Amino acid sequence: MHGQHGGPQKVALPGIKFIIAVASGKGGVGKSTVAANLALALQMHGQRVGLMDADIYGPSVPMMFGLGLVDQAKTAFPIEKFGLKLMSMGFLVDPNQAVIWRGPKVAQAVSTFLGQVDWGVLDVLVIDLPPGTGDAHLTLCQSAPLTGAVVVTTPQDVSLIDARKGVKMFEEVRVPVLGIVENMSYFIGDDGKRYEIFRSGGGKKLAEEAGAPLLCELPIDPRVGICGDTGEPIVQKYPDAPISVAYLALAQRVLEESYSRPSDEMLPDVML
Amino acid sequence: MSQPLKPKSLRREGDGLKIEWNDGVTTFAKWSALRRGCPCASCRDVQSKPSDPFKVLSAKEVAAGPLQPTAMAARGHYAYQITWNDGHDSGIYSLDLLRSLSTPVEPPSSSS
Repeated sequence: MHGQHGGPQKVALPGIKFIIAVASGKGGVGKSTVAANLALALQMHGQRVGLMDADIYGPSVPMMFGLGLVDQAKTAFPIEKFGLKLMSMGFLVDPNQAVIWRGPKVAQAVSTFLGQVDWGVLDVLVIDLPPGTGDAHLTLCQSAPLTGAVVVTTPQDVSLIDARKGVKMFEEVRVPVLGIVENMSYFIGDDGKRYEIFRSGGGKKLAEEAGAPLLCELPIDPRVGICGDTGEPIVQKYPDAPISVAYLALAQRVLEESYSRPSDEMLPDVML
Repeated sequence: MSQPLKPKSLRREGDGLKIEWNDGVTTFAKWSALRRGCPCASCRDVQSKPSDPFKVLSAKEVAAGPLQPTAMAARGHYAYQITWNDGHDSGIYSLDLLRSLSTPVEPPSSSS
């Protein structure tokens, strides 16, 4: 059930060229970090970019961009930072307060962020999805004209189990999976050697299963966590770091995949 | 790779819905069949139980008259949501479900 008037209403976003959902299935794989850095890397490619945090229960975007709770009466949304347009539940609710909502309220919040926030003209809107395959995902897939999804995983099997479910969900709702990103793929030590801390090959395996490309293997860089916690994503703070270069390559691949999709795949109207 | 199943057109015809699909097949489903196959949680719960021969229609159901949709809107790339004249609107019908609830229509004979 989706409330009195049924499911989420279809949202028309004529000013936005591509809408890319970043999903994972599993929590803790660095999905929000990937979404934030991907958004900045897309911008470095000259794109006009927005980042919508659809994780209503556990928003990460405010902290990652050095922002927090704002006065709604005096603030125009989306909020701009580092040239990105940002929207998150974390701007509206005190971080020490839990959002304890049932599904329909989550769906409503996601629809509002999407349809009632003035995103203006964007080349890409990146949507940071919560873990799992729940209300926020379904709302977006039913109401937003998604270009496709990027599925983030880490190399080990325990992450793949849930990432596979995420891929399956997108297949069911016919949202194309643009590709797989393997995060925390390897670590280059001071000795110059490559260490595969969380095993290897998980992203490649998932990509083969999904029939989608492996877009990128992102290395572990301890500065990623520090940058996220201090409000300046690594792509912004250390644009020449190997991981930032990897993000730029990822953004390029995402753009290529987006442009390669047919633009008009909407279902026909029903003549009643 | 074959094209995923997708409707080319959907229109009301008599007491049901006629759909032309991208695989060249045309199907028809009566409104009553679509409603019986409603995939929403509450209808599935009812479908899983034996039917009640003594079911009394609610005042709302009586007032609505014969069952028919008042709206049918696309949901993303994969489904349609039907709003019925009795107010029920929580069924999201995937394209595969619409196909399975409808039956192929014979093309008109060209020999006559």
